[in-house]
Amino acid sequence: MSSRNPSYTNPKPCKHLEDYKLRHGLSGYKSIQKHLKATPHGRTSVEMLNTGVPRCNSCNGFQGRLYLCLICNSVSCLDHTLLHIQSEDGHDLAVDIERAELYCCVCCDQVYDPDFDKVVMSKHNMGVPRGDKHGDESIGERLVKRRRLGLGVAEELVDLKKSKQLVSMRDRRDKSCYPLGLRGLNNLGSTCFMNSVLQALLHAPPFRNYFLSEGHNHEACRRRSGDRLCLSCDIDVVFSAMFSGDRAPYSPAHFLYSWWQHSANLASYEQQDAHEFFISVLDGIHEKEDKSRNRNRDSGDCQCIAHRVFSGLLRSDVTCMTCGSTSTTYDPCVDISVDLDTSNFSPTDIVNKRSKPNENSSISTLLGCLDLFTRQEKLGSEQKLFCETCQEMRDSVKQMSIRRLPLVLCLHIKRFEHSPVRKMSRKIDRYLQFPFSLDMTPYLSSSIVRNRFGNRIFSVEGDESDIITDFEIFAVVTHSGTLESGHYVTYLRLRNRWYKCDDAWITEVDEEIVRASQCYMMFYVQKMLYQKADEDLSSLPLSPRRDAYLPIAG
Amino acid sequence: MSLPNEDNIASQLSSHFFGDLLDSIIVDVASECHRIARLGLDRNMEDEEEELRLSAQARVRVADPSNSGEANSKYVVDIFGQSHPSVASEVFECMNCGRSIVAGRFAPHLEKCMGKGRKARPKVTRSSTAAQNRYSRGSPVSTYSPYSNSTSSNRLSNGTSGVAGEEYSNGTFQEP
Repeated sequence: MSSRNPSYTNPKPCKHLEDYKLRHGLSGYKSIQKHLKATPHGRTSVEMLNTGVPRCNSCNGFQGRLYLCLICNSVSCLDHTLLHIQSEDGHDLAVDIERAELYCCVCCDQVYDPDFDKVVMSKHNMGVPRGDKHGDESIGERLVKRRRLGLGVAEELVDLKKSKQLVSMRDRRDKSCYPLGLRGLNNLGSTCFMNSVLQALLHAPPFRNYFLSEGHNHEACRRRSGDRLCLSCDIDVVFSAMFSGDRAPYSPAHFLYSWWQHSANLASYEQQDAHEFFISVLDGIHEKEDKSRNRNRDSGDCQCIAHRVFSGLLRSDVTCMTCGSTSTTYDPCVDISVDLDTSNFSPTDIVNKRSKPNENSSISTLLGCLDLFTRQEKLGSEQKLFCETCQEMRDSVKQMSIRRLPLVLCLHIKRFEHSPVRKMSRKIDRYLQFPFSLDMTPYLSSSIVRNRFGNRIFSVEGDESDIITDFEIFAVVTHSGTLESGHYVTYLRLRNRWYKCDDAWITEVDEEIVRASQCYMMFYVQKMLYQKADEDLSSLPLSPRRDAYLPIAG
Repeated sequence: MSLPNEDNIASQLSSHFFGDLLDSIIVDVASECHRIARLGLDRNMEDEEEELRLSAQARVRVADPSNSGEANSKYVVDIFGQSHPSVASEVFECMNCGRSIVAGRFAPHLEKCMGKGRKARPKVTRSSTAAQNRYSRGSPVSTYSPYSNSTSSNRLSNGTSGVAGEEYSNGTFQEP
């Protein structure tokens, strides 16, 4: 079996389980196997078909939990398991009939054995992944390739030492104690949606490193394609300006001009959505790459900087509720849009001002939204899908999970609800708690699939033990106002200090301001890239004051 | 009218069954939690709780009016010691027509200059037709299909920097 998987630990067996395994190996498990019954909901139970209702051997009782001895197949209720181990030596291990869990009668505790779970899992319909355009190559092989590629890319993007221009471009206006690249952006007329996202992109470590280390070469770009429009070239110009050391606010006019040429449908002087802008920019970067590069290189995996940094892979499982067979599809994504979990909101919370702030039931959290995103969703009866196994239209359950995490994870909160009755949408201003350190392990496909089967120990596609799941936040885009009219502000975390980027105004704020803000888009980067980024951009040592909060006179 | 005895037995039985069902559910939950704990699937719980605590604390502190709330005050200077007008005053040349434009009014100017948007007369240029072609094909950088249900109404608009939100207003920035 694979080496230790970081998302769960193989529990140490009790002495009795060890002895049992030594003496009987897998024979007991194998004999149980034919009696295991799997439900389409991922549960397993034991059915001794011949004996009807199972009853305790000692008292003939049939209520409560019953345990089936692995050696002699006798059934005991909880009261009489002790009797059984006293009368039969070594008959310590039993199986809970209701849940197919191992039970040690001596320890009086539930115990775990990966071999047993493997036997249990053999009864479940795991389904066949479909929708791969890559042909015969197994998903495992392909994903190993992708991962190797991903790691290589990360290393390259982490190594800022390649950058030549970085250190030299400073002028006397540079306030050296502040991080490089910290600079205001002028609002060109309702463009704070653009400014807020640009600030986040400018400080996304792998994205920044790429551009600062001449990742996009103007001359080569022009030579390759006569087409003058290249969003990457324009972004490169913005990077150079923002990291030049000049602290006067920069006007991203040329960038706006280029972006409007690319996104004709969004090109108008009006308030727009930051998330839409984000997607549009990544699209623009990708598209140019698409035209100029040879696509055959690595079947399907785009090498443009937008994808290398932001692209992840989502897995969607649709399970037939009748037979339990699952069909799996994979889709790439550059961000994850989650719904706000508003179900916990109760009207009494507004009234009762004395309610404790810790009351989890009334607070929406980012983890709660991710739970919502990855929960099993019953598809309505009007959405029945055709099940290959049953050969009929069946009620199904859908579940999303993350197959591969990107280097930079952008989480977008869908802060709007649409009322079909009133035919209008409104913004949800509800506070959303979000962590600064985020562990994405529970939302990985391996965790979600395992969880679907009661967290049994078995290997799932994607169980590579070195998948990186620890993320650190580095940018928060917040919104205030309504759907029609509002204002975006970005908070940036540089060298563990928070800066508020409000168009041209850069101010330092306490982390509490950020925690209490109304987040709209959150940018997380893999932890090790975050730490490396901190080291790279340290210029002169910071002033010693640690209480970073500076009240600004009003 | 049934005898009191029968009523008794009936309610006793139903209590009994209910008790059995409840017991079974409780054991189920206990068994699940036991597995989660033993397999270390909840090892992040402490970190998560710490984050929740920090956020709750932050909200209390920020909401407290006695704290000189950064959110409520207007900006005087930024961290570099600079001050900025509500309409960006930098002047530069428009890359489309060559005229000198004030930064804060650049977007509305560019819109008319490029012939985009509702108010301007549509100009057929190379860039606008190329852009149309781009958007007729499916975008490869699209949101995942099984889940996405985004419509054009699902977006938050940004605006001028001086919006009358609850947070603050740092001067006005009127739309022309």
